[in-house]
Amino acid sequence: MVQLKVTEEQGIMEKLGILTDAAKYDVACTSSGVDRRGDGTGMGNTLAAGICHSFGTDGRCISLLKILFTNECIYDCKYCINRKSNDVPRASFTPDEVCTLTMEFYKRNYIEGLFLSSGILYHPDFTMELIYQTVYKLRQECRFQGYVHVKAIPGADPALIQKTGFLADRMSVNLELPTAESLCRLAPNKHRKNILAPMRQIQNGIHANKNELTLYRSAPRFVAAGQSTQMIVGATPENDFQIMSVAENLYRKFELKRVFYSAFVKVNEDKELPALAEGPPLLREHRLYQADWLLRFYGFTADELLSEKRPNFNIMLDPKADWALRHLELFPVEINRADYQMLLRIPGIGVKSAQRIVRARKNGALRFEDLKKIGVVLKRALYFITCGGRMMYNTKVEEDYITRNLLNVEEKLPFDKDGMTYRQLSLFDDMKVTMPPRQEDLPKTVLGQI
Amino acid sequence: MEEYFLICRDSPEGIFTGIYEAYAMRRPHDSIHIQVGEEENLRLFAVYRHVEPDREKSLRVSATLERRLGAEAYIEICCALAAQDGEKGEAVYKTVVCGFKRKDGRQVMGDLSNPYVHKVFELARSVKNEAHHWKEFLRFQELEGGMLFSKIGPKNNVLTFLMPHFSDRLPLLNFMIYDENRNLFAVHPASGEWYLVSDMQVREERFQTYSGDETKYQELFRHFCKTIAIKERKNLKLQRNMLPLWFQEYMVEFGE
Repeated sequence: MVQLKVTEEQGIMEKLGILTDAAKYDVACTSSGVDRRGDGTGMGNTLAAGICHSFGTDGRCISLLKILFTNECIYDCKYCINRKSNDVPRASFTPDEVCTLTMEFYKRNYIEGLFLSSGILYHPDFTMELIYQTVYKLRQECRFQGYVHVKAIPGADPALIQKTGFLADRMSVNLELPTAESLCRLAPNKHRKNILAPMRQIQNGIHANKNELTLYRSAPRFVAAGQSTQMIVGATPENDFQIMSVAENLYRKFELKRVFYSAFVKVNEDKELPALAEGPPLLREHRLYQADWLLRFYGFTADELLSEKRPNFNIMLDPKADWALRHLELFPVEINRADYQMLLRIPGIGVKSAQRIVRARKNGALRFEDLKKIGVVLKRALYFITCGGRMMYNTKVEEDYITRNLLNVEEKLPFDKDGMTYRQLSLFDDMKVTMPPRQEDLPKTVLGQI
Repeated sequence: MEEYFLICRDSPEGIFTGIYEAYAMRRPHDSIHIQVGEEENLRLFAVYRHVEPDREKSLRVSATLERRLGAEAYIEICCALAAQDGEKGEAVYKTVVCGFKRKDGRQVMGDLSNPYVHKVFELARSVKNEAHHWKEFLRFQELEGGMLFSKIGPKNNVLTFLMPHFSDRLPLLNFMIYDENRNLFAVHPASGEWYLVSDMQVREERFQTYSGDETKYQELFRHFCKTIAIKERKNLKLQRNMLPLWFQEYMVEFGE
């Protein structure tokens, strides 16, 4: 059993600060994928839909106590704040501290569970063993039954990963960068092979566990909420098509639950890293997530959305509208007759509204008013649909015309359109150039002179 | 034709009794309406009747609803009845009428082009959304003696939807959720069944004496929330979209 030397000087507050700060660039903060009721002997349950408990000032959800076990690391990955050659404050938790924090936060309904990652301390095996001990303690001694997401450390002993898998709800191995060459360039100590091996191991583990569960219903569950991974977008020159193809392969061949994309935030100065004057590529990340949803829930494939010739997403239009505009021969679609798969492909119709349409049209033909009630975004959908053989307005099914109109519908983006300064000029627009009123202006405003 | 208005108590029991009485009148359903709470805007040529909640009748109605409309629609109706909305009684009543007319009542909630069904659907959705929000954003404070206490101010009557969730989650702890808008307490004794207490007279101070560690963990969590945000991605608008301001007064990380 490995033991950790503990430095007593740092208080818990300081440690939490350092190790949260070090963990914040990891994107996976979901608590979804598994429904488990408490058994009445401890604390905690999980919901398949997941629960977000708070939102940070960056608008990202805070669902799990996301911390590193330690930010000491023997690796020197160029994009990472915790790289060996960085001079940052270092700290390590003890398993007891992690358990107490988790339990106390959990019972106050601050968090949904624990997300435990770690820098590589001494050796991957050593680190994995520490993670295992912590989760073991949390599950067995504290009787914690909430959500636990842990990292599988690439290069660690498969037996350790296996043991940990029986305690965790979700495991993840970070792919870090989309291609092996990029990984080689920015993370010289990591190897693609070492990353994919535990991923495969977990996949096989989940399969074996499923078979076991059909035989013995009370067998312990292995990584019940599946595994996920993440890759950094914008640190290396890959295009969107390459990234989507990698993601598609991960979903198909490794049966991942989620692939996360993280817009590259430049925390280190290094000649290998891009400059990124406009900040992290948030719009690109957003488009990738939109496309990711299309792959997982809408039956699209990566090569339908992009191709070698058009390797990047349109920054003006979301991937689904973009696809529809390139396939106008399929539209307009008759709402009362189209099959579910086709409904899903109409811009302005999501999974829920498509399901509601299928259900509601059994009661009689749907009209445009009904679609609105169902939740279809008509101002986007109207160019692509008919109800009872009629379009909503007299519109042309023509690429330029529809594109123009769709662009007039302000797209809801989760952030201001940074790095993309497209804007319609208007006479009454002051372009946010404002001058503060001077002292002598104030009496004038009162007298109505201004 | 004369119109009848049945005025019911604002509770599932009250409205179910109203539905029972409406059927017992054996008149066309178009001429009968259910109103919740007090009569307002009295109409000419309309007959107003107060309906007292009756446990027996309401149980019969709820059993019939569950049998004829199925569990899914029944739960949907129960959710809608928890909404803070004056027209919920009428919407539920007419949805029930619509469901009973159908060959297969279980499909009634799919008929969204019917305005009453749509209303019930919307109310149920808003109640479920709010309940989910409170599951996310409600915060417990540990009081002296170890009991966990939480104060919430929900728009709809969601307490009954929250308690099963938290009882399953914290079975070994004493905790209490207080709905300040309805002066309603939900109490869960350790290893016991939860129950509701209404109109209890309690001094507020009792809920403000924290246990020794409480402030420490509040501070730790505040520190955690501050640190976890990436400043290069700062986006207060998104934060507000995801977490509406009116919840924030109940949350420790937004205090001070």
